[in-house]
Amino acid sequence: MAPPSRYCVPGERLCSTEEATAGSGTYTRHGFIFSSLAGCLERRSEDSGLPVVSVVRDSESQLLPNVGAVVTCKVCSINSRFAKVHILYVGSTPLKSTFRGTIRREDIRATEKDKVEVYKSFRPSDIVLAKVISLGDAQSNYLLSTAENELGVVVARSEAGVQMVPISWCEMQCPRTHTKEFRKVARVQPQFLQT
Amino acid sequence: MPLDHRRLCGPEESQPPSLWAALAAEDEDEEGAGAAPRDPCSLRPLFARAGLLSQAQGSAYVELGSGTKVLCAAWGPREAAEPGPGRLLCEFRRAPFAGRGARGRPGGLAEREAEREAAAALREALEPAVRLGRYPRARLAVSALLLQDGGSALAAAVSAAALALADAGVEMYDLAVGCALCRPPAATAAAWMLQPAEPEERRAAARLTLALLPALNQVSAVLGGGQGGPPEDWAQALRLGLDGCHRQYPVLRQSLLRAAQRRDAAAAATAAAASVA
Repeated sequence: MAPPSRYCVPGERLCSTEEATAGSGTYTRHGFIFSSLAGCLERRSEDSGLPVVSVVRDSESQLLPNVGAVVTCKVCSINSRFAKVHILYVGSTPLKSTFRGTIRREDIRATEKDKVEVYKSFRPSDIVLAKVISLGDAQSNYLLSTAENELGVVVARSEAGVQMVPISWCEMQCPRTHTKEFRKVARVQPQFLQT
Repeated sequence: MPLDHRRLCGPEESQPPSLWAALAAEDEDEEGAGAAPRDPCSLRPLFARAGLLSQAQGSAYVELGSGTKVLCAAWGPREAAEPGPGRLLCEFRRAPFAGRGARGRPGGLAEREAEREAAAALREALEPAVRLGRYPRARLAVSALLLQDGGSALAAAVSAAALALADAGVEMYDLAVGCALCRPPAATAAAWMLQPAEPEERRAAARLTLALLPALNQVSAVLGGGQGGPPEDWAQALRLGLDGCHRQYPVLRQSLLRAAQRRDAAAAATAAAASVA
């Protein structure tokens, strides 16, 4: 039986900054912490220092891709200079409305950037893990980069329509036709490997 | 006979309009006589409810005792092409059946201009309350629909729009509360009245609409005009309006808390049903 939770509205004064630090969904003003969302008040005690006060709305959280966040996106079209993607997830929370992003040719790999071919790194309808490097200016969308070992193609379908298995950092193989295709593959993180 | 889908069919029987015309004239006289002994500082009963539309991410319905009904819907951040902090797009529409009597020119330029002005006023009142810096390159949309105009429509729309934005989960500094005042023509008593009804607003010599952020105690918009008295009168009207806003705030706050509780209860119920099934 959970204790009755305390709800708050935007602008409600929660406590002073001496008693706690401001978490998500709050803002500080004149030495006090105010709520910024209409939701449930949550108080978490940190080991070092003061407890963290935050306001949560369980159902949806309006998330926007921030600079430095790892996002999951789907490639919609490729070009010799860049690949256009739809950003689907930020971290592990799905986005309600898709945002558009661009992965430039020089941001696909960290080494040998001028020898990169976009056609050999991504194909349309691949699922890619990328990192946001910029919010973009007036003309362009979010700029993303896959220039790390853990970023790149996660799920891809072969020309036969079957999901492919990664065999190295630059190749994936189709289990049915055994043809190898070039992709910039993301390294599987150790916690997900079964050995 | 084939149905005509382009027109709204009237009733089968028809009666002469003179029957109803006499009734309307009597109504007007009664209202004119009863308006005089009204306490200028009294607030109409206010009803507010948030979280009622399923099509929009946030919604609110505000009804004032004089008959003004406003329905407002808000949508969370969507991608926008312009760089910089997020933008708030407001829209204000009057339903065709909102006013009493015949519309001068339905869909004409004057109506569209009035709607555009009201939308700009709404945006001015809401922008200081929303944390646009948290939504870079995003677009927040708010749409207000006036179902019945019984006076103080813009003030009710401001309150409803703030409730809808908070219900949609948009980060805000505070709720914006709107209050309207009007001053009857100089022949009668020249005191400012809170939340005028429609006939009072029509006959008023000066009108004022205030939008206040109560917790921060900041005024976000002051709109209005007319033939006023000395400047102290306007200052006194502002104070009266601020007081009216502060008195309305608890009702709006309560409606938002209830909506949050209802939403959490519904989410818990669906989660329990999903885990059982």
